[in-house]
Amino acid sequence: MSGVPNGISSEEHINVITTKKESLRIQLDQSAALRSNIKRYYIYVVLALIVLIFSVVKLDNFNLSEIFDRGHFLSPDSVINILRSAVPILTVSGAFTLLMISGYIDLSVGSAMSLNAVVFSLMILNGFSFLSALIITLIVGSMMGFINGYLVMKLRITPVIATLVTLSLFKGIALLIVPDGLSAIKSSADKVMPAWINDYGRKDVLLGLPWAFWVAVLVIAVLVIVQRRTLLGKYAAAIGGNRLAAELSGINAVKMVWLLYIIVGFFAALAGMARASYMSLGDPLSGDGMELSCIIAVLLGGTAFSGGEGSVAKTMVGALIIVCVTTGLMTVIPAYWQTVAMGTVLLTAVVLNHLLVREKVKA
Amino acid sequence: METKQQQKSLLGGKLSDESFITLFMVGVLVLVFAIACLVVPNFYKPQNILNLITNNWFVIILGIGVTFVLITGNFDMSVGGNIALTGVLSVYFCQGFNVSQNALANGLGLPYVVAVGLALLCAMGIGGVNAFFIAKLKVPSIIVTLGTMMLARGAAQVITQGAQRNTSLPDAFGVLGSLNIPVISIRFSVLVMIILIIVAFIFEKKTVFARRIYLIGANPEAARLSGINVSKYLTTLYILSALLAGITGILLASEYKAGVSSRAMGYEFDALVIALLGGVSIAGGFGSVLGMFVGAIILSVVTSAATGLLLSPDWQFILKAVVTFIAIVSQRFALEKRKG
Repeated sequence: MSGVPNGISSEEHINVITTKKESLRIQLDQSAALRSNIKRYYIYVVLALIVLIFSVVKLDNFNLSEIFDRGHFLSPDSVINILRSAVPILTVSGAFTLLMISGYIDLSVGSAMSLNAVVFSLMILNGFSFLSALIITLIVGSMMGFINGYLVMKLRITPVIATLVTLSLFKGIALLIVPDGLSAIKSSADKVMPAWINDYGRKDVLLGLPWAFWVAVLVIAVLVIVQRRTLLGKYAAAIGGNRLAAELSGINAVKMVWLLYIIVGFFAALAGMARASYMSLGDPLSGDGMELSCIIAVLLGGTAFSGGEGSVAKTMVGALIIVCVTTGLMTVIPAYWQTVAMGTVLLTAVVLNHLLVREKVKA
Repeated sequence: METKQQQKSLLGGKLSDESFITLFMVGVLVLVFAIACLVVPNFYKPQNILNLITNNWFVIILGIGVTFVLITGNFDMSVGGNIALTGVLSVYFCQGFNVSQNALANGLGLPYVVAVGLALLCAMGIGGVNAFFIAKLKVPSIIVTLGTMMLARGAAQVITQGAQRNTSLPDAFGVLGSLNIPVISIRFSVLVMIILIIVAFIFEKKTVFARRIYLIGANPEAARLSGINVSKYLTTLYILSALLAGITGILLASEYKAGVSSRAMGYEFDALVIALLGGVSIAGGFGSVLGMFVGAIILSVVTSAATGLLLSPDWQFILKAVVTFIAIVSQRFALEKRKG
């Protein structure tokens, strides 16, 4: 053989080649394992880093002895505050993840949240009990999800366009419900908002955190189980992976995705009333931008753009990253940097997602 | 020749589907206008009709870029943010250098022409970022352009510290926005809109480039296989759309003699709405600039009729949603009827 160097037999040569191949394969395996480990755990590292940075960094005067002192980012009060303000996104982004796993999107979540906050506080202001207001709000929210599902799945309007239309619709209705000259549904001369409205979103029930937070934790737990252990979760991934194949194997994609839209609407309502209860008023703009926050959280959590795979649990880590960044930045730079910071986080999430999530081969 | 004509007649008459939808929307426009004339006093007056067209010049200019991007099957939601950024930048570049204690009154002190050129370059930069993510990394356009929308609007907010810049500007700054064309007595901005519409119309009907845009929209994979460099076309269109947004931003900043960071909030949605009203379809390389123009006038009739009826401005959101929904559904119904 021409390739064999002088002085060694061909058998030895083959041995050398096999060991080379072996080591190469081990290397490849290692790099693949490394890659999948990075993919699996990077988001936790990012969250830890962000928390660390905001706890430590003092832009004007960096002093090691003042670690964890500056801004008290990790003090109990601050952690409670961050978790309380994270309630709406934690409540809604889990369902949003399931929808995105199935390859669909709902840009109207922010408006749906605002409208539900307005509806909820309007009912409380007019003497409804907490429970009846809660139930009606959740029904209204589910109806909104139903409308989205109808437009997308029955009328087959492109999801982005259909939900942009309902975004405008819900926002318009919320703005119309609020009386002229007022910026929100709140106490006025003749009607007073009962003080118990913020019991749900603000009052300490356990570890300094309110009901709304523990409900959000419950919601997350339920949705993680739904994704991992129920048919809905499996079907969502199957539809997102290849809708035609899913339908051919007997999955009713229309019903499943419609159901997911209703679930998103339901949790948007829950998030809206948590926000209304936290602020003790119904602000028709309070949910603005929630759709973007949800998209960022979902992308940070490694859900593929085109659906098919993803994780509800990791979206929650992504949601915490967003809340930490927005809260942390406020202590470091002026508020008008907020938008550009979030835009940067979104595009960074897109790049990270591109690098770490396997590109699906399009049929 | 004969087979071609036969094919055409098989597809349903001499009209293309696009012209059919445009004519259909012209019919809708006439209907909506007639209703508006009946319920709103003085709506039929020539001055009002002229206003319906000229008051929306900025959305129509945006609509041109958004229409072509939509025809390829993509979104551009960054145009609104881009208007704010370009306007603010043109002001910042023009403001006197080190003239005041107030940080918002100090700029770079460049001549107006240079300032405009640089601001337009920055706008095209945003378009380039869009194109990079969408054409190279294959990220869904809605996610990318929402991100660049935040980036552009955020940069405008940083430069203006969340407010606006309007002091220590040279006289040349306000000329373009308030310029009146003597003979035909319309504003310069409106003239720009009319010229751009005509150019876009010829471009759409007469160039190979435009035909290929339709092909890409109808089937990107087939377009790629037939040798069309899809990412080149997408890049050109996104930069073009960003440039049109930049021109709008500069004209608006000049008109108000201010760079406001909250300018053009929601214009991306308006541009999308008029394109959809004009029959542009996201799925399948379908639509026309002329249709978009008709859509813009329909929207303008509806919103100004609502204002004429003294409805609160909050109604606008609902009206836009309902009108868009009806347009999408009725256009699809009309097309299906036509195909039998």
